[in-house]
Amino acid sequence: MIRRLKRLGVSFVLLIGILVVLLSGCTSGNQSGSGETHKTVIEYWHVNAQTQGGQAVDELVKDFNAKSKDVKVVAKYNPDMYKGLMQNLQAEKAAGKSPALVQVGWAYLDYFSNNFSYLDPNDAIAKFDPKNKSFLKENFLPNVLHLAQNKKGQVGIPYSLSSPVLYLNKDLLKKAGLNENGPSSWQEVRQFADTIKKKTGNYGLYVQEPADTWAQQALMLSNGAQIITKKGKAVFASKEGIEAYQLYQDMVVKDKSALHLPWDQGVDAFVKGKVGMLYTTIAQMSNVKAGAQFKVSTIPSPPFEGKEAKVPAGGSFLAITAQSEDQQKAAWEFEKYLYSRQSMAKWTEATGYVPPRKDVAQAKDGLKDYIAENPMLKAALDQMDKAVPWTSFPGNSGLQAEQIMIDSRDKILGGSGSVSKTLKDAQQQINQLEK
Amino acid sequence: MPENKMEWRRIIWHLVLIVFVLVALFPIVFAVSNSFKGLSESYNSILQLIPAHPTIENYKTIFTSLPLYQIIINTFTVATVVTLFKLVTSYLAAYAFSFSHFFGDKLLYFLFIATIFVPFTVTMIPNYLIISRIGLLNNIYGVILPQLCDATGIFLLTQTMRTIPKSLIEVSRLDGVKTVGILRDIVFPLTRPAVISIGIMFFINSWNEYVWPTLILKDRANFTLPLILQMFISSEGGTNFPIAMAISMVTMFIPLVLYLFFQKYILNTFSQSGIK
Amino acid sequence: MSVISKKWISYLFILPSLVIFAVFLIWPGIYTVYLSFLDWNLISPTKRFVGLQNYLSLFQDPTLYKILMNTFVYIVILLVINCFMPYLLAFVLEFVIVRGKKLYKKILFLPSIISLVVGSMLYVWILNPVSGPIAIIFKKIGIDLPTWSSTSGLVLVVLSLITSWKVFGYNFIVLLAGVSNIPSGVIEAAKLDNIPLHRIFFQIVLPMSSATGIYVLIMTIVQGLQYIFTPINVVTQGGPNYASSNMIYHAYQQAFVLYKTGQSAALSTLTLLLFTILLFLEFRFVERKVYYAGK
Repeated sequence: MIRRLKRLGVSFVLLIGILVVLLSGCTSGNQSGSGETHKTVIEYWHVNAQTQGGQAVDELVKDFNAKSKDVKVVAKYNPDMYKGLMQNLQAEKAAGKSPALVQVGWAYLDYFSNNFSYLDPNDAIAKFDPKNKSFLKENFLPNVLHLAQNKKGQVGIPYSLSSPVLYLNKDLLKKAGLNENGPSSWQEVRQFADTIKKKTGNYGLYVQEPADTWAQQALMLSNGAQIITKKGKAVFASKEGIEAYQLYQDMVVKDKSALHLPWDQGVDAFVKGKVGMLYTTIAQMSNVKAGAQFKVSTIPSPPFEGKEAKVPAGGSFLAITAQSEDQQKAAWEFEKYLYSRQSMAKWTEATGYVPPRKDVAQAKDGLKDYIAENPMLKAALDQMDKAVPWTSFPGNSGLQAEQIMIDSRDKILGGSGSVSKTLKDAQQQINQLEK
Repeated sequence: MPENKMEWRRIIWHLVLIVFVLVALFPIVFAVSNSFKGLSESYNSILQLIPAHPTIENYKTIFTSLPLYQIIINTFTVATVVTLFKLVTSYLAAYAFSFSHFFGDKLLYFLFIATIFVPFTVTMIPNYLIISRIGLLNNIYGVILPQLCDATGIFLLTQTMRTIPKSLIEVSRLDGVKTVGILRDIVFPLTRPAVISIGIMFFINSWNEYVWPTLILKDRANFTLPLILQMFISSEGGTNFPIAMAISMVTMFIPLVLYLFFQKYILNTFSQSGIK
Repeated sequence: MSVISKKWISYLFILPSLVIFAVFLIWPGIYTVYLSFLDWNLISPTKRFVGLQNYLSLFQDPTLYKILMNTFVYIVILLVINCFMPYLLAFVLEFVIVRGKKLYKKILFLPSIISLVVGSMLYVWILNPVSGPIAIIFKKIGIDLPTWSSTSGLVLVVLSLITSWKVFGYNFIVLLAGVSNIPSGVIEAAKLDNIPLHRIFFQIVLPMSSATGIYVLIMTIVQGLQYIFTPINVVTQGGPNYASSNMIYHAYQQAFVLYKTGQSAALSTLTLLLFTILLFLEFRFVERKVYYAGK
């Protein structure tokens, strides 16, 4: 009896399985059958996770598809951020295909433009939208446009700009008897962190450590160091660069006032009130705001004493990778929609990125009300004039150069070897890579 | 041995096992608990396992913002097709390897088993190129295709079949029973427990598969469950932990139900004659 | 002797597996070996033949030795946690504790049905050294947890633990099955002779369940190294400074993060070679001495 029951159970599961397979076969068949054939269908590849603008992308695409007469956009989410998208793009190219519009991270500017064929947005405008010839010039700051340029010209249009700011746990600062308005230089950050550690037992600072060295570059730049020369030679192991990293290493290794952890764990620690200051992208704003049960504020990225703050622009630009003319035309139509004031405002609210377009922040149909409600964004907006391109190491070994930077960061923060030796070795290694 | 000493020893070992049980269960309990918390609560009352303000908002969010039913069906399809094919192909191959000698049998068996030792990085790039060339990119059948047979399955089934006394089969052969008859009436009933436990292993592994589907599937409507988890983990904007936990619960749900439904059976088959 | 009536039936039965293996495993394997002699970035139309250059730069890179060492350490840790410990516990449960066997089996098997991506993510939160639940509890009794995810050595242990969470239960069940196949009379007799438990385990149980033991051993090494890919990818991406990378993850990173297809293929080929040696050793020395119950 039990035996028979078991057998029944097994066949039942198998049956369900087969039914599901058949069903899904049917549904997917239907889907492919009911496509709207008269519209040009283009693919937009993006990297925005559901909690980080993905929802907004869906809504924007839906709205655009409803409005547009002849273009239908299919948005495709690529897991694993810009790296993941690049991988998928590689694979797509290997298969002889390409999407129409892609979102490219700044660090991949050089790699992307060397390896994929794209349409210069200036050419796209001249070809498909000659009436709007000065669209780029009118709507974007020159230093912002410059972010998406290589030697040959404009690769794409800046889409999301992220900027590093210093988040403050005001309650912890107060408890440690510190000025709640925060430190005004990195040297002061060190003092603050040390005081927090000694007075409250919590960590003083966490600087983001993802699989890039964006924040660490900001530190070096803000001490007047240069990362690479115009010709693409690495020069970051200068006196200023070493000094900046030395201060950072001292905090982690000597004072033990700064945390050395992967990004998500570090941010988690700050939001749970275990760290006094957090140096990370403005895009974390809504996450911090939603989770923090203490008074939190942001201040612009500090400089070193007597130097000027500089912030490398993070985020991404959009590039047209469509190959046929009708696809390119459709891609531009969609791109133009994405860069409209309303779309930009919606995008900023969903992501916390700084809008690349000039007029969005102040406009009533832009972000005016939003900024009033979210003063934390102001720190990032205020430092936009200090934005410089994020170093994209030239040549095909650019990604490897970035990896060397990451490795030396980990060596330095791990406390093994001196800062100057590690940085000099890294610099030499990068300069020896084949271009 | 004195009874007393034996009793003490038992208690100590029970304690050791209880530690293992706690380690095994804690993450699951933690996931359940957090999937019913709001973001702020999950950040701030970490040690509280029972949510102070339980909410089903996280589940609502994922069911409204994603084509979740379609994704569940996709996952089910992949797991079912892969499991059925793997079972059939492994079973046939194992049968041939166990009960006959033919030219190159040893070498082929060795070759098949050797594929267990091939790390997935070795085949990843070329397989990707194959799938994209035959146009199965962004299609669940592209995920399925390279996985229609399984060396572990062949190995385990061959091991099992080799324990069947040859005489049993030789007798029926002498009685004039054909290959199909032997397979159906003698070998299959004897190996059924192994087939089922291996099948469940296939199903669960395929259900949870992550790396290969990320390479193949691009469109959310074609995703499988483990892939959508990634959509709620964003280093850039912070991970929404409670929502990610809600997705984890959905991902766990079907293997869990399968397990609870068949647990006695699964565990028994492993214990009685599963793998030798 | 041969039981299948006609030779062609045997071939027919093997054909489906053979075709799939040939297309999706063997050919790709050969192609990867071929790629290891080329300089290619996965998409560029030109593949440059560079001979042994990829292998040379692989062996000149100190990272390789670090990763080989990590791979070895991972194997040792995984063997202890996922092969030796479940073996011991299976023995204890079968012959010492006896009671509660079913319940323990049920619960310990549970994690093995859960996705490792989920598991990794959970553990990143639970084990957060500053703000996770464990850290908070320890803090209350005055202990600061080390920042394991950025400490070399420790990071290997924790990532192995995460992997073990998933793998342990399955191995445990399989080993329990193997152990329980040993006739209990043998053990009872040994107990009556007052042979200490550790000797029963090493001298009776291990040899008499060796077929299962070897299977779990091999699977722990081969699959464990591949399973560990997921926690590496989710938690550390191989860092800090390759302290948590292994051969599999490094090959992935070279190919799909840095687009050094040739380097990656060379590393994969090397991995393949090492695994082949392992396989050879298994077939040569172990397979023959194995005790198969019922044979």
